[in-house]
Amino acid sequence: MANDDLVPAGIAYLVGNITSKHNLLGTSKETGARWAKDLHLSRSAETIFFAGCGYQYSSELETLLSLIRKIDKSAVGTELTMNLAGFQKKLGIDAAGIFRKVMTRGSDTDAQPLKDAVKVLSNLGIEFGYLAEEEPCCGGLLHFGGFHNDFAKHSQEVYAGLKSRGVKRIIGIVPSCTYTLRELISNSTNGHDLEVRHFCEVVAQNISSVKLRFPREVKVAYHDPCQLVRYLGLIEEPRQILRAIKGIELVETDWTKGEWATCCGGGGGFEAVFPELSEILAVNRARELAETGAEIIVTHCPGCIMQLKTGLKELKAGKIEVLDLAQVVAMAMEV
Amino acid sequence: MSVFSDYKKEIMAAAHNDRIRLALSRAIGSYRANTNTALQKFPHTIKMAEEVREIKAKAIGEMEKLAQQAAEAIEFNKGKAYIAKTADEALKIIENLVGKDKLIVKGKSMTGEEIELREHLEELGNEVYETDLGEFIIQKLNSRPMHILSPAIHVPKEDVAELFSRITGEELPPDDIGRMVATARKLLREKYFEADIGMSGANVVAADVGTLFLIENEGNIRLATGAPPVHIALVGMEKLVPTLNDAFKVAEVTWRYANYTVPSYVSLVSGPSKTGDIEKVTTYGAHGPKEFHVIFMDDGRTELAKHPVLRQALYCLRCGGCLYECPVFAVTAGYFGDKYFAGIGAVWAAMISHNPEKAAAVAYTCLTCGRCKVRCPMEIDTPAMCVELRKMLADGLR
Repeated sequence: MANDDLVPAGIAYLVGNITSKHNLLGTSKETGARWAKDLHLSRSAETIFFAGCGYQYSSELETLLSLIRKIDKSAVGTELTMNLAGFQKKLGIDAAGIFRKVMTRGSDTDAQPLKDAVKVLSNLGIEFGYLAEEEPCCGGLLHFGGFHNDFAKHSQEVYAGLKSRGVKRIIGIVPSCTYTLRELISNSTNGHDLEVRHFCEVVAQNISSVKLRFPREVKVAYHDPCQLVRYLGLIEEPRQILRAIKGIELVETDWTKGEWATCCGGGGGFEAVFPELSEILAVNRARELAETGAEIIVTHCPGCIMQLKTGLKELKAGKIEVLDLAQVVAMAMEV
Repeated sequence: MSVFSDYKKEIMAAAHNDRIRLALSRAIGSYRANTNTALQKFPHTIKMAEEVREIKAKAIGEMEKLAQQAAEAIEFNKGKAYIAKTADEALKIIENLVGKDKLIVKGKSMTGEEIELREHLEELGNEVYETDLGEFIIQKLNSRPMHILSPAIHVPKEDVAELFSRITGEELPPDDIGRMVATARKLLREKYFEADIGMSGANVVAADVGTLFLIENEGNIRLATGAPPVHIALVGMEKLVPTLNDAFKVAEVTWRYANYTVPSYVSLVSGPSKTGDIEKVTTYGAHGPKEFHVIFMDDGRTELAKHPVLRQALYCLRCGGCLYECPVFAVTAGYFGDKYFAGIGAVWAAMISHNPEKAAAVAYTCLTCGRCKVRCPMEIDTPAMCVELRKMLADGLR
């Protein structure tokens, strides 16, 4: 299929996972869906909540990425882009073993944004289901990685799968999945009849019906994820939600906000090809946000959360918390 | 895949170079402040940029016709015009005009970089002086440009002081930028008048009258294209627009997004220097060049123009705004790129330089974050082009 010489191994690896296992990490679908096992969400509904790989596998991805970064910083790091497997052998790394360890790690703290998003939507009186193990990977990375034939085929499967389960409306939460479902799969299936909206659009529309108060008075900076702000055009919605929460003071970066927001350095598979460079960019973005004096950085993308946490840690600004917008809204509903 | 490894090594070395980052963070801050001021002062620019986008989109589809028209206009103005299909053809034409053992003063030109013009002329035994200060520093450092408008953007003042001290044998203090500029002026001053040939590119060309627009601040281009007896201009065919009026619009949008309310100098050159002051007899070579040669170069551009997604790379005005918005460029400078920089550089590497390995490396370095597109007056969708390139590369560049 591909001209292997020209595709970085980091991308090829992720793409292989999607095409063979239908998720970004190449693990089992049950692993991905485990966060929702006690929530009793309906599996057949016209409106579904689309959880996406990013949040569902966030701790695994985080561990894997930190491993890749360690390797990338080592002497043979530049070879990472060439051949992941061969190079693991060279270093004597037991990839399978590490992978198993990653997989068996507890998932209790995992996917909190998803649990919270479900809670928020329910509290707002929105009815929806969740496909659990049957939720497909959107395949966005196939598109962004350049695997258009695979993506075209994948799109058809995703669309047919959703249709066969009677899905009519989708509430997405991962920005890139939402963009992929709304725009890319639509383009690739000659326009589809699914209504795809992002979580923050749905929440912003219904926000006036609830009272929101954050547990404490706090300064919050909002980081716009690239795909949310420049691909989906959602600039005001997250801010509208944050402003509706009593106790939160929204502070903004000087210039790098809204459509001018700086990328966290984790876009389009970049972190798999240039792990170390990606970390440098994470630090730069974290610095811009930390300079606002915020105590909490709120964003709305699993990739950004991972990157900003890494960046803050490197800056030794670990006491600044990074939270997903869904978590913040859920916390504000508790009081 | 060794191209990728080498590239990654180079880009990571740049990313760990604090001086590059320092120089760029200063540059980014002042670019944004200046551009905001310029756009607030002249808000019509935004509407004009939309108009220019339409002008360019149309002109890119008819480059060959416009080149023909411009060539005829230049010949009518008593200049000489040439259309070069390839880089080799362009080099050959210039070689024939220049010959060897000549002293050449040169203005900065990305199109010149594209075909390695200076290196070629030097190999033929000519003495070539880059006259743009940044480019002069780069030439003396034996380095390569790292930004389309500010080629020495990655070189901090301390390094310039050291370089100029070495050249002149006088100790230059690292804080006295004024003295560094004066040193370059002194080193180059006589060369303009001794030179056999002055060379330039062009920012935009009006095809109807055959007029080249040269935008600058230093004044080196005025001297280099005015003082020597011969002026040779190498112009990429994507610089052509139909009319003089179109060209003014392109020029204004270009400098505004290059962070200037207005540049110090804009030269409009349409033919050789002439006078009719003695008995109305037109005589060429009054105070300016007697000979004026323009080479319109295709070098893959008309092919590129046929591609539905990648053609927008040719709309680029070279204002450099995108570079200041790219988070990767902010830490690597032009190491992220090939002959042209950042994401859009991948298109040039693939389609103009025919270097798929380099193109792949650059295309996969793009974050696809899209902030460059927000800045771009032509709304060039670089992420979409990089994704398109990845597709083509994954399929073997078909």
